[in-house]
Amino acid sequence: MTSLGNLRDLYQQVILERYKKPRYRGQAEPVHRYQKGHNPSCGDTIELTLNLNEVGDRIEEVRFEGEGCAIAMASADLMAEALTGRNVNEALEMVQRFQDMMKGGVEFPSEFRKLNVMQGVSKFPVRIKCATLTWHTLKAALESSSSAPPNGFVSNE
Amino acid sequence: MTITQEKPLAANVRADFPILHQQINGKPLVYLDNAATSQKPIAVLDTLRHYYEFDNANVHRGVHTLSSRATDAYEGSRDKVAAFVNAASRQEIIFTRNATEAINLVGYSWGVANLQPGDEIILTVMEHHSNLIPWQLIAQRTGAVLKFVELTESEEFDFNHFKSLLSDKTRLVAVVHVSNTLGCINPVKEICAEAHRDGAKVLIDASQAVPHLQVDVQDMDCDWLVATGHKMCGPTGIGFLYGKLELLRSMPPFLGGGEMIADVFLDHSTYADLPHKFEAGTPAISEAIALGAAVDYLTSIGMDTIHAYEQQLTDYLLEQLEQVPTIRIYGPKNGRDRAALAAFTAGDVHPHDLSTILDQAGVAIRAGHHCTQPLHRYLGAQSTARASLYFYNTREEIDVFIATLKEAVEFFGSIFG
Ligand SMILES: Cc1ncc(COP(=O)(O)O)c(C=O)c1O
Repeated sequence: MTSLGNLRDLYQQVILERYKKPRYRGQAEPVHRYQKGHNPSCGDTIELTLNLNEVGDRIEEVRFEGEGCAIAMASADLMAEALTGRNVNEALEMVQRFQDMMKGGVEFPSEFRKLNVMQGVSKFPVRIKCATLTWHTLKAALESSSSAPPNGFVSNE
Repeated sequence: MTITQEKPLAANVRADFPILHQQINGKPLVYLDNAATSQKPIAVLDTLRHYYEFDNANVHRGVHTLSSRATDAYEGSRDKVAAFVNAASRQEIIFTRNATEAINLVGYSWGVANLQPGDEIILTVMEHHSNLIPWQLIAQRTGAVLKFVELTESEEFDFNHFKSLLSDKTRLVAVVHVSNTLGCINPVKEICAEAHRDGAKVLIDASQAVPHLQVDVQDMDCDWLVATGHKMCGPTGIGFLYGKLELLRSMPPFLGGGEMIADVFLDHSTYADLPHKFEAGTPAISEAIALGAAVDYLTSIGMDTIHAYEQQLTDYLLEQLEQVPTIRIYGPKNGRDRAALAAFTAGDVHPHDLSTILDQAGVAIRAGHHCTQPLHRYLGAQSTARASLYFYNTREEIDVFIATLKEAVEFFGSIFG
């Protein structure tokens, strides 16, 4: 975009690619955790399913379904990728770190550097909710102990 | 460029709206979110300021000069609103906080007192949540049943379907005049006539109509009509309910408190005459007075002039939007059949992303479900983007909007050719 060059910070190539061709859409198999997230002000929805190891302290697989903007969908896809094979405590720390990054805080270390493409969102305060919806939903999924489809939604309002 | 008739209107009025003359993200503001709220002319801003600088006092409560000035201005504003929508009597205009409160007033007063289990309320799938949720609540409370008029193929009010829903069980028809999402202008006069034939009452949500068209409640023959001040150049916190006099008389009070009483005893009270019966507590005085100033302002331009200008501008907007690749416009295609707004989607580009990109170019549009979630579900769209115009918008602004929209669509499209 010629006149809109600064939007490249927000809409990094990776974000647009993941929006158009997500790699982690679908449902985990089998489902050990199931959580839905919803952003009531814009209608974005995320449905996360997690497959954990036998003890339940390690994430084997994360999948998402949902509808939303490029930021929300790419954020979910990148999160799913970053979490595969991580233990639950580490994942919960990453939730916090992601939120800090949205407030302009530090980036992720290099093993998670792909998540840093979301950093540009921090300069667009009204869009932070889009990027964090999937992380809020993940936190709720990890904090519950049920694999049943949830009754309600986690909201990030 | 050809000299068109509409050019002078926006050119003449833009100076009246200080907020329009600013830069957003380094670009001149192009405000195309008027269906959410309109901007306010200096005349309205000055009225607010003048009121607090010179006339501020409570209304109907004192004999001192300020109180009488405040009361005169407040009641004078009611006269203006009554004349604006051609009410038969000033007593038929009740000031409320907004359209939403006006609808709730009818629901909790008339609805609760009159609806029986099995009675039917006809709404449409295009209602704003403001004209849906109150009726869901009233239906739960009274046992009344909600029915919904669907859309025609051209995404307008389906009159035949409406007729098929009407029966002797229908007690109320509550319909939006101008849809804030489809932009369609519903045949409210015919709807009233048809509903009255079956003895049903009709409430018209004219929130998007009163700011843009000449609305005549007597000609329409509606039983109630609601509108909201902030979409018609007035401040927030003020709206109004119109109701036919005898009907309003027959309705029990909605909220109780000061202002709405005649005689108070410890165990019971008698109520003030209309309109005060429905205006409990200290009202939004300055806002009501400023709404009067907004009405004066709109009247000085002329609602027919505003409507004619907006129709030309809407035609231009639709014509230009249709040129944008992948665009899908919701609602009737002909600019003559719609009000000055267009909700749309652009292929893969999510409305939120569009809105962020447009905002970088100074263009304000709405993205989301515009408080018509059931309608979005009905249309199979999770959310849409919406550009909504007012009489101070120009073709040049539409050009900026369209050019940026095209860039956004190209930008997203370019990732995978
Ligand atoms: C058609 C319609 N009805 C009702 C409303 C509610 O207006 P308010 O929120 O001012 O009560 C709106 C505006 O948002 C609207 O567009």
